Amino acid sequence: MNRSRLSDSDLLSQYKEGNEEAFEDLLSRHKSKVFTTIQLIVKDTYIAEDLLQETFIKVINTIKSGRYNEEGKFLPWVLRIAHNLAIDYFRRCKRYPVVVLEDGNKVFNTIEFAEDSIETLQIRKDISAGLKELVQELPEAQKEVLIMRHYMEMSFQEIADATEVSINTALGRMRYALINLRKKMKQKNIAYDQNLYPR
Amino acid sequence: MTKTFTQDDIIRFIYDETDQQEKREIESALLCDGDLLDTYRKYLEIKQKLDLDLSVPPQRVIDKILNYSKSYNLHPIGK
Repeated sequence: MNRSRLSDSDLLSQYKEGNEEAFEDLLSRHKSKVFTTIQLIVKDTYIAEDLLQETFIKVINTIKSGRYNEEGKFLPWVLRIAHNLAIDYFRRCKRYPVVVLEDGNKVFNTIEFAEDSIETLQIRKDISAGLKELVQELPEAQKEVLIMRHYMEMSFQEIADATEVSINTALGRMRYALINLRKKMKQKNIAYDQNLYPR
Repeated sequence: MTKTFTQDDIIRFIYDETDQQEKREIESALLCDGDLLDTYRKYLEIKQKLDLDLSVPPQRVIDKILNYSKSYNLHPIGK
């Protein structure tokens, strides 16, 4: 059977019946999108790796204990878990003061990840260069809508509800995010691949 | 007469948030409106670039997740 043609729902059914390969396929299918989303929120690759693992452990626990509700789509559900864990992570960090050890290292050296200073962005070399870096440079409101719509696959109405703005405002922010990204791409000369996007 | 569409309509179209009727109308408009087609291409280009620019997590992290899943039945949690 060509598993790549199976829907998420089919793979989930197989996984519930104990087929571990079905889960491997699901993970392989969605790992990059979930990882990138977390990375864009926390801006640190190592923390993103931990949160990716935590996300899928919650996914496994929920499915294997029979608590998964199939009303929604699989990926948006996984991404909501990832988003909540990333937000919890920030809350945990902000609860603790930054303690500097004798060697200069901080005990909780992650609180500044929530901030968007140019210096922070410049030293975050572990985030791969390219478009994702340009996403980090967007104004917060635009970045938020872009992450929610493009990576988390929330509808514009869901974004409007979650961010307490009108749907037109959510759409406007998305438009500016895309326009600004395009401008930044041109400024940084990110190649336009004519083969991928033939005119 | 062809309906006029805004940039926000095109963004909803690209993100598959138009109903069937509106989708057909936008597709028709794209065939005869060069400016609208340029707008569509501009936004589609960024969307496709974002789709291609995903980070791949390291295999060791994936292996840990898969091992956890396989061992769950031996040591179930949260049941």
